[in-house]
Amino acid sequence: MEELDGEPTVTLIPGVNSKKKQMCFDWGPGEMLVCETSFNKKESETKPGCPFIYIIRKDIDVYSQILRKLFNESHGIFVGLQRIEEELTGKSRKAQLVRVSKNYRSVIRACMEEMHQVAIAAKDPAIGRQFSSQVSILSAMELIWNLCEILFIEVAPAGALLLHLLDWVRLHVCEVDSLLADVLGSENPSKHDSFWKLVTILVLQGRLDEARQMLSKEADASPSSAGMCRILGDLMRTMPVLSPGNTQTLTELELKWQHWHEECERHLQDSTFASSPHLESLCKIMLGDEAALLEQKELLNNWYHFLVTRLLYSHPTVKPIDLHLYAQSSLDLFLGGESSPEPLDNILLAAFEFDIHQVIKECSIALSNWWFVAHLTDLLDHCKLLQSHNLYFGSNMREFLLLEYASGLFAHHSLWQLGVDYFDYCPELGRVSLELHIERIPLSTEQKALKVLRICEQRQMTEQVRSICKILAMNAVRNNRLGSALSWSIRAKDAAFATLVSDRFLKDYCERGSFSDLDLIDNLGPAMMLSDRLTFLGKYREFHRFYGEKRLTDAASLLLSLMTSQIAPRSFWVILLIDALPLLEEKEVVFSAEQTYELMRCLEDFASRRPVWREPGVQRIQEDVENTKLEMLRLALARNLGRAIIKEGSLEGS
Amino acid sequence: MVSVINTVDTSHEDMIHDAQMDYYGTRLATCSSDRSVKIFDVRNGGQILIADLRGHEGPVWQVAWAHPMYGNILASCSYDRKVIIWKEENGTWEKTHEHTGHDSSVNSVCWAPHDYGLILACGSSDGAISLLTYTGEGQWEVKKINNAHTIGCNAVSWAPAVVPGSLIDQPSGQKPNYIKKFASGGCDNLIKLWKEEEDGQWKEEQKLEAHSDWVRDVAWAPSIGLPTSTIASCSQDGRVFIWTCDDTSGNTWSPKLLHKFNDVVWHVSWSITANILAVSGGDNKVTLWKESVDGQWVCISDVNKGQGSVSASVTEGQQNE
Repeated sequence: MEELDGEPTVTLIPGVNSKKKQMCFDWGPGEMLVCETSFNKKESETKPGCPFIYIIRKDIDVYSQILRKLFNESHGIFVGLQRIEEELTGKSRKAQLVRVSKNYRSVIRACMEEMHQVAIAAKDPAIGRQFSSQVSILSAMELIWNLCEILFIEVAPAGALLLHLLDWVRLHVCEVDSLLADVLGSENPSKHDSFWKLVTILVLQGRLDEARQMLSKEADASPSSAGMCRILGDLMRTMPVLSPGNTQTLTELELKWQHWHEECERHLQDSTFASSPHLESLCKIMLGDEAALLEQKELLNNWYHFLVTRLLYSHPTVKPIDLHLYAQSSLDLFLGGESSPEPLDNILLAAFEFDIHQVIKECSIALSNWWFVAHLTDLLDHCKLLQSHNLYFGSNMREFLLLEYASGLFAHHSLWQLGVDYFDYCPELGRVSLELHIERIPLSTEQKALKVLRICEQRQMTEQVRSICKILAMNAVRNNRLGSALSWSIRAKDAAFATLVSDRFLKDYCERGSFSDLDLIDNLGPAMMLSDRLTFLGKYREFHRFYGEKRLTDAASLLLSLMTSQIAPRSFWVILLIDALPLLEEKEVVFSAEQTYELMRCLEDFASRRPVWREPGVQRIQEDVENTKLEMLRLALARNLGRAIIKEGSLEGS
Repeated sequence: MVSVINTVDTSHEDMIHDAQMDYYGTRLATCSSDRSVKIFDVRNGGQILIADLRGHEGPVWQVAWAHPMYGNILASCSYDRKVIIWKEENGTWEKTHEHTGHDSSVNSVCWAPHDYGLILACGSSDGAISLLTYTGEGQWEVKKINNAHTIGCNAVSWAPAVVPGSLIDQPSGQKPNYIKKFASGGCDNLIKLWKEEEDGQWKEEQKLEAHSDWVRDVAWAPSIGLPTSTIASCSQDGRVFIWTCDDTSGNTWSPKLLHKFNDVVWHVSWSITANILAVSGGDNKVTLWKESVDGQWVCISDVNKGQGSVSASVTEGQQNE
């Protein structure tokens, strides 16, 4: 047995803790049942056991109202991505993939925002806490995704890399802007309690223009430090940065930066800022002094902020491959041996090490459902990143995660429809997984059944169509909705069942003298050929129609062919024969001599082999009525024969 | 994350021996030593008792739901040597058939794939396996395999329906020629595979030997379209084996040991897409296993009975590199 990286976690089921009892279980379509039992049947238990059955499930996030929007919208992005795959070529490919990534992230942020509102508005503090923790999980997901976008999809080179990382950090530290507004809005900004805190944060985030503005306010307010503020402000202004449109090379930038760094160093040596501890500390920060940065732990809030600030002020042209070294050391320095890394920290580290598989693996372990890893992995696969890592495993991982995610969706009464599309884009096991799952969807309404059937038919899943139609048809028969049953069995192309239902129709006709669901039978069309019994039913109705439209010769021929062909059930013969009576009693001769002979043959054939299928008791009366009718028929046939012969004989004459 | 989403109070007065969800996960059937079979509607996290079925005269060991296309049908088997088939007619559940052909406790019942018709296999402590086939109008035809396992048969499990030969659509009205197979596990430490011959008789096709004590349960995995068949078996000897057979290259089954537990393993069961195997052991746990990319089986979760609240964090192992 292979070893796992972590111990499989134990889920405790509340119940009586007995040493002798075990747990019995079974799988439902999307869940598991467990209950207490004793498998050892030899022991007869006189004490009752625990009478509870627990239904347990993974992926209960599908039931969350707010997350549903996440699932719905990301589904749209996912399908869109699969569809444009062929069109993604050349230079624009990367840009388009980045756009897709940003779309996903904006969906996460929207969800976060909504959940945040709900958390604030919640009356029950426990629920509020629950939502808040969900918000932080979503926030972490967006943080990770954003970093993956920068490193794996955008593939930012040295120089641009730092700018992206700065954006990344700024995006995830929210209080700065509100603090800025607070301070600027006050009477005397530079005298505000949080003034220096604000300036420090701005410097830590590399927002030097704004920091400089703050310093000028301080310069205005306290003339004694005006000089120092001006100098520091100048340093801030002159720090060389790579701006997006800039054409200078990395080497040029490095050189300039080196000079600037030395200038800052000189000021520090000269104790320019000695009389203002705040300003001096800011200068140290700008020099990338680790100790000074670490003093601001509280403002930095986390090690990756520390990392980016550190890089900004000591290695702004850091290359992607060197990132992980700084990342590891930043983490170690920041934690300072006081605490150990959390799952999020490990995931980010793995990302800095460009170990995509590790990122996905850790995320799978840490998160409660497959949404995140499934979509991220799919996107990375489109970036052709998984294949280059481990050919054998690459495409399988994407499919594995998508299958897990989609299976989870099927547990939900309406989200399952999204799952269908995900299965469609899994070339190896998608189809068979869909087949297994789609049959298990409860067909609670006709609408739902039709929806499921449409999906199956579109994908030529004939087995599933047959099975589902059969279930619906049987249900209809049990509820005496014969028309519905018939149309389901036609759709299922189930001849045996069509025969069964047709028999029921005919039996009903025998009992009541009329057909239900005439519309359906009249419009069978080629479906009539599905089974002999069904054909008979359709043709018999046609006979009725002919008679109604006074197309008597057509009716007569049809009736005769129904009797002489083998498709009429024995039990129906008497009715067919009796149906001939009104035709025989018409003023004009409808049956030809030939046809009359045929009819007589049928009559005698029938009379000699009368089926006994009625219940005793009623039998006597029924038989008497029948006998009378058959006598009348014999008489009518004889008369008709005479008339027919005369008519045909004299045809040439007249 | 695994969570308890519903707790159903069955109010059984004695030990529960089996609980099964129906095809759609909307109904739950349970059976107990209190001789009753109960059916609950468990939609939307609720529980409504639909039926309390009495008819057995001893502890009821197993229940099994038939495929919904035949209606709402449930089979139960008991220590009283009987197999009862229950059916829902017009909203009420009633006994529709009783099978008394065994001389000893009937331990296991399993419905065949719906493609074969309505067929129930029953395994008994008298060593025999009986097959009940519904032939219409309330009639059931019985075929019995005597001495299938010496001392007793503990479990039966059907193979998924696979149409042999060509995959071209059969003309309507004609039933495709399925080869019907099922597996049984018994007190002779063996797993036997049975096949229906053309004359309708059942013949022992294979013996799978690997266990050193009574085989307690066998479970044939659902088909996922690959040309391999998979069976899981568990035994009194504490071992769980996964047997695989490559359908294209003949009929040899090779066992792989999933795990050796410290105690009797009573029950194994596959999830509906056959990617997770659940194993219930004597050590009060239900463990979930998944096959990793290189064919090794890995335990991904433990579901443990115990006091206290449900623990919230779960490790999901995925396919390892």
